Amino acid sequence: MREAELEMGGHPAKRVADWHLPAPYDWRAALAVLLIALALIWSGQRMEVGKMIGLTGEAVLASVGLQEESQVGKGLGRMFGQLFPFVIEDRRELARLPDIDRDNLPMFTRIELVEVTTFHMNAATLQAEPRVDVKEYLVHPFGYLLNVLGKMVETFEMAIWATIISVILSIPLAFFGARNYTPNRFAYSASRGIVSFLRAMPELIIAMFLVLGFGFGAIAGYLALGLHGAGFLGKFYAEDIEGADRKPQEALTALGAGKLRVLRAAVLPQVAPSYVAYTLYILDRNVRMAAVIGLVGAGGIGQELKGRYDTFEFGHVGTILLVIFLTVFVLDQVAAKLRARLIG
Amino acid sequence: MSATAILNAARTIGGQVQPHLSFRDLRKVYPDGVAALDGVSADVPRGQFCVVLGPSGSGKSTLLRVVNGLTSLSSGQMTLGDLPMSAANLRAIRRKVAMVHQLFNLTERASVSANVLAGAVAEVPFWRVMLGWYPAELRARACEVVARVGLDEIHLPRRAVALSGGQQQRVGIARAFLLRPEVILADEPVASLDPAISREVLGLLREAGREQGATVMCSLHQTDLAREFADRIIGMRKGRVVFDGPPHLFDARAEAALYEGLTPPAQAQPRKEALHA
Ligand SMILES: Nc1ncnc2c1ncn2[C@@H]1O[C@H](COP(=O)(O)OP(=O)(O)OP(=O)(O)O)[C@@H](O)[C@H]1O
Ligand SMILES: [Mg+2]
Repeated sequence: MREAELEMGGHPAKRVADWHLPAPYDWRAALAVLLIALALIWSGQRMEVGKMIGLTGEAVLASVGLQEESQVGKGLGRMFGQLFPFVIEDRRELARLPDIDRDNLPMFTRIELVEVTTFHMNAATLQAEPRVDVKEYLVHPFGYLLNVLGKMVETFEMAIWATIISVILSIPLAFFGARNYTPNRFAYSASRGIVSFLRAMPELIIAMFLVLGFGFGAIAGYLALGLHGAGFLGKFYAEDIEGADRKPQEALTALGAGKLRVLRAAVLPQVAPSYVAYTLYILDRNVRMAAVIGLVGAGGIGQELKGRYDTFEFGHVGTILLVIFLTVFVLDQVAAKLRARLIG
Repeated sequence: MSATAILNAARTIGGQVQPHLSFRDLRKVYPDGVAALDGVSADVPRGQFCVVLGPSGSGKSTLLRVVNGLTSLSSGQMTLGDLPMSAANLRAIRRKVAMVHQLFNLTERASVSANVLAGAVAEVPFWRVMLGWYPAELRARACEVVARVGLDEIHLPRRAVALSGGQQQRVGIARAFLLRPEVILADEPVASLDPAISREVLGLLREAGREQGATVMCSLHQTDLAREFADRIIGMRKGRVVFDGPPHLFDARAEAALYEGLTPPAQAQPRKEALHA
């Protein structure tokens, strides 16, 4: 019985045969899995998941020619076809531009003549007769693209400012919302409450309210995005602080350093890579959401998108979507490089 | 001059040299009922290299952590110089005490220089900490201690994780010595190092401590290392002091009594998990 004699700092000795090492899962875990499965089956019916899979399947079959045609395919196909060709030129009727000097056109522009046939009722014969008018257009071959790019730059600026606002707001939110740094329970609950609230309010709704206060334009847009983003960053920053390696924090606390000093010297270096990743994600998200938020008149490329969509100018819509996609794609590449550099 | 006189007067009470660290009947009972310290009394004079030995769970770490207030006492009194441990004195005491940790406790992603300078994090102005912009004298001092622990200029910008275990502990020691503390606490500073590196690290700890007149309290598991380096050995068992004396009195019988009925203490033999420098 040598094991029985082993004393560990006053803990009562117990025979090895009486030890108990529980299995990794038990019936409670199995029950939980079962309940989740049942809930998903119930929810799946409400969400018509079966129908979704069926229609998607049809569309896929139709597109590879295994089936005549599908409802989804038809609907999407019509819309999709109208996006092409992308419109990149800017075309305006010359008659409506009184300030244009024909002998000295703006750079890159040219005048195009287009024959337009209209039908007029001939009062004498009571017949509709075609009449050919020639309309003159001032055409800038890539004027619209430039316009969209300009709007995209504006959108990007909105995203940058929204991100700055998010970061500034979420630093105190993270400090008060980290269990191991918050000064008291009240501050903790308040911070977590604010963070949840900001995250729960869709930016579209926040923007609608802010448009009432700040008027149409970019301010309402980036403020709305900034507030919503603070809801994310405040939460993620706080959780990383809570999860950071405690050992260096203890070492600096033992030297008499206060909370903020410990945070700066022992926590920040540890969490910096994930903070950079979160912040870049929020920037990326803000670029995409800045496009959506324009729908309620909060500036940026979204306002342009909404206007073109409402007037069925799908060729223009296509150009806008392409520019947004390319911006997000490039941003993603840049972010990946930046992250690799900071983490390496 | 008068300040020195006052200091000397303060050091001698009743004709006796005042101990640097004084433990009076220290007791620590954890909420689960374990008495990690069960009436520990001892005086440690200034400049002593005092090794605390004892089986696992005997309360060595707890005793060390009482000195810088990482563990609060259930009863008893710890006094550093003329500062009794209390909530009001906690900061003041911590500023005089530095700690070397078993697992180094470095900020792994930060550079060696940042880790060493963090030893002054409680002393420099707040804005300097926030910007990571430490004063030039302090940076010079950091280079000095980094050199003293046997590291090189090329190590300064390296991340702490990128060093071997032995090198990391050297950084830990450099951080501890940065501000010339009065007391160094070392909780099993060599437990994760191989024997050769362990000797180097302990030697470094003792010599650097001596140069600055710092009192060192060091817990160890290797009795042979304790005999080799200690000025004095305190043997603990179940929260009580069962041996207290110079190393030559810590003979085989004393050792057997200290670890009686338990697994033999780890000798300084190569271990599988040892980190190689
Ligand atoms: N935070 C805690 N809560 C409860 N019990 C604790 C706590 N910390 C330590 N103990 C207990 O107090 C006793 C003494 O622990 P301590 O860490 O001081 O031992 P030690 O001598 O340093 O051991 P080791 O050599 O293994 O490091 C042990 O029984 C331990 O389980
Ligand atoms: Mg210990």
